[in-house]
Amino acid sequence: MGRVSSLMTVGRRSMMNSQTGLHTVGHNIANKETEGYSRQRTETYSNGAEGGGKRRIGLGARAATVRRINNPYLERQLGNEKSELATAQGRQQGLGRLEQIYNEQTVEGFNASMTSFFNAFRELSTNPESMPRRTAVRAAGETLVNDFHNIHSQLEEVGKDVNSQLQISVHDINSMTEEIASLNKQVQEVEISGGWANDERDRRDLLLKKLGEEVDIKWSEGEDSTVTVSTAKDALLVVGGEANHLEAVSTPAREGKGEGDYDIVFYHHDYAEPLVLTDRIQGGRLGGLLSVRSGELNGLKHDMDNLAYTIASEVNGMHAQGFNAYNQTGVNFFEPLNGANGAAQYLSMNQDIKVDSGRISAGRDPNRPGDNRVAVEIAELQYGKPVFDGSLTLDEFYNGIVGELGIKTQAANRKAEVQKNVVDQLSNLRESISGVSLDEEAAKMIEMQKHFDAAARLIRTADEILETVINIKRY
Amino acid sequence: MRVADKMNHRQVVSNLNKNRHQLSTFQNQAALQKRITKPSDDPLGAARVLEARTEIQGFEQFEKNILSTKGFVEFSEQSLGELGDLLIRAKELAIQQASDGAAGAETRKMVAMEVDQIFGQMVNIGNRKFGDRYLFGGYKTTKAPFDMKGNYYGDDAEIEVPVDKDAKMVMNIPGSHVFMGKKLNDPVGTTKEIDPSLKEDNSPAEKAPELRQPASTMFAPVVEDPSVNDQGYWGPKSVNVFTTIKTLETGLKTNDKAVIQNSLDFLDDALNQVNLARAELGSRMSVLNTGLETIQKLQVDSKMIQSEIEDVDMYELVNNLNRTQNQLEASLATSGKMIQNSLLDFLR
Repeated sequence: MGRVSSLMTVGRRSMMNSQTGLHTVGHNIANKETEGYSRQRTETYSNGAEGGGKRRIGLGARAATVRRINNPYLERQLGNEKSELATAQGRQQGLGRLEQIYNEQTVEGFNASMTSFFNAFRELSTNPESMPRRTAVRAAGETLVNDFHNIHSQLEEVGKDVNSQLQISVHDINSMTEEIASLNKQVQEVEISGGWANDERDRRDLLLKKLGEEVDIKWSEGEDSTVTVSTAKDALLVVGGEANHLEAVSTPAREGKGEGDYDIVFYHHDYAEPLVLTDRIQGGRLGGLLSVRSGELNGLKHDMDNLAYTIASEVNGMHAQGFNAYNQTGVNFFEPLNGANGAAQYLSMNQDIKVDSGRISAGRDPNRPGDNRVAVEIAELQYGKPVFDGSLTLDEFYNGIVGELGIKTQAANRKAEVQKNVVDQLSNLRESISGVSLDEEAAKMIEMQKHFDAAARLIRTADEILETVINIKRY
Repeated sequence: MRVADKMNHRQVVSNLNKNRHQLSTFQNQAALQKRITKPSDDPLGAARVLEARTEIQGFEQFEKNILSTKGFVEFSEQSLGELGDLLIRAKELAIQQASDGAAGAETRKMVAMEVDQIFGQMVNIGNRKFGDRYLFGGYKTTKAPFDMKGNYYGDDAEIEVPVDKDAKMVMNIPGSHVFMGKKLNDPVGTTKEIDPSLKEDNSPAEKAPELRQPASTMFAPVVEDPSVNDQGYWGPKSVNVFTTIKTLETGLKTNDKAVIQNSLDFLDDALNQVNLARAELGSRMSVLNTGLETIQKLQVDSKMIQSEIEDVDMYELVNNLNRTQNQLEASLATSGKMIQNSLLDFLR
């Protein structure tokens, strides 16, 4: 038979247990909106019985552990999908900006000014004696040159934007790896003594996901409860309680990037030289942005240079053979370019023509004011003569650029949308397991309160029994 | 399935976002009246729209080119018509004066004065301008192609103007052909070397009938170019119109019946030559008119294509707008209910 005092102890413990439970409910409610938080549960165990034979009486319950409810496999999968979503969004963002540069669906753009340029020569061919028509050719030429410059500087602008995003991102990455390293230490300290570092692990999981959204990372958890994080194949960002830093630095031009554009480098005492990671980063937002920079942005710059150089050299070639209003020959229409490299940036009209449009050549023979053959020939460049490896006309070349960019942007948009759905579904699944439900917590709260009431009642009952026992003698 | 509060919130927010995004897309389309507002909306369509726009812009230019070419050709044709009338008048006079029955030395002298005037009018026609360009000077459009003696200072060039993507039209008939009788039947589009005899430092004066010799032997208005006579564009015989008139005038002045009679043949040839040139201009006019019609039709076609690709279908759009609007309202209504309710509301 149990003692009355032990009945009190059971009641007291029970009250304490329900208070622990209420605390956990409170913690859950408080963290309902905390990002990455996993709901927690108090686990109670029943205490061993005392007494012997067939009358072993249980001694109540004790709260053993508070544990988070979480599926690590799902968390990792969610992290991977989020990283891919970030890659897709990085591409979407970069391509969206590029697309705007080439968007002339609702306004007049480069295509229109190129056509106007050749139309101006066509107009000149109907009346090569006319000064106003020459001036119109000059104006159309200047518009074309300006459009080349505009597109070039807008492309440069996108490159600069990528640079500043790299800087911000690297800064974020460094502060996240620092925090992960310090969380590693905390988790280790808590868990070495057999406890569960629930909140620290939640935070660490969240940071790993966020880090994965910036760059593609690989991570694994060791037996000492710390995670090791690496990126771009073998750059170790976090080992135990130590974090290694990345840096964004401006470097000279090379294949895939322009002069002064940023590279991401990794400093580590194992390597004598800092490691350039730029081309090895494949995923995360940075991976998306970098792939747009080294792929589409670079390609577009190259295409525009090629286009500018081809127009300049073809037009010059014809123009220089002609004779202008002053019977001069050998006059270039555009200032000659050294090569295709940077042509879109350096393209400019011949200074003499800028001053006097009479220096524009229309005819092929001297002293023939009505001779329009050179003007006709130049106008025919637009769609008459294939110029790029003999396969594409200027028009086809440019429209091809816009079409291809459109297709790539569309693909990136779709990819981002699909990936967003995947992430949404996984996130829902994750919330379904680890998320806080107020209804549930409210029910739990009432349950705990009733539990507390009942335990208190138990103590009162014990007290009454004791009183009865004490007062036996009086009756 | 266990439903956590965040799931509800996420679902509500993401659905509302989806509805609102759709709504704003449709609204944008309605405002711009365009289905494609950026290349990625429909990359192939966007590229085709660009093509169509280039075509339309090109057609607009070709239309202008045709109209200005037409003006030039029309005026040339009209001028040659007047030239033909003058030649007919000269021929009438020559027929009158060719026989001794109706004419004598005195009348011939008087008629010679009229023929001289005709000569002057012909030179004026040769120096006609369209705008500020001489019609009959070839490429030399800024200087008068003929002097008062009928010497030619222009060149042989035919000015070709682009009138379609792959078509050009000759705008002028150089004076060297229609007045001076030099043949012109090179295929269109080839570059013609300018006849060295027509370069300005070569004085054409040697052909001028100035010397007083027996006129019948001296004046041979037929251009001495065997290729012209054999296979010439202007018919079997090409003649210098001015020399022909001058011959008639000289015949009249010198009262030389043989020369007058002789010049009748040349006048016929000259008339023939001018008429052939008019016919050529007339056929160019009809080609230009057909070309203009074609281009205007193609312009409409291209605009149709462009519109079909990029313009929004208003019925469909309004329909979509309404549907999305309804969806949004439904989302809002259900969201409001879903977010508000909690067990806590019922615990009292």
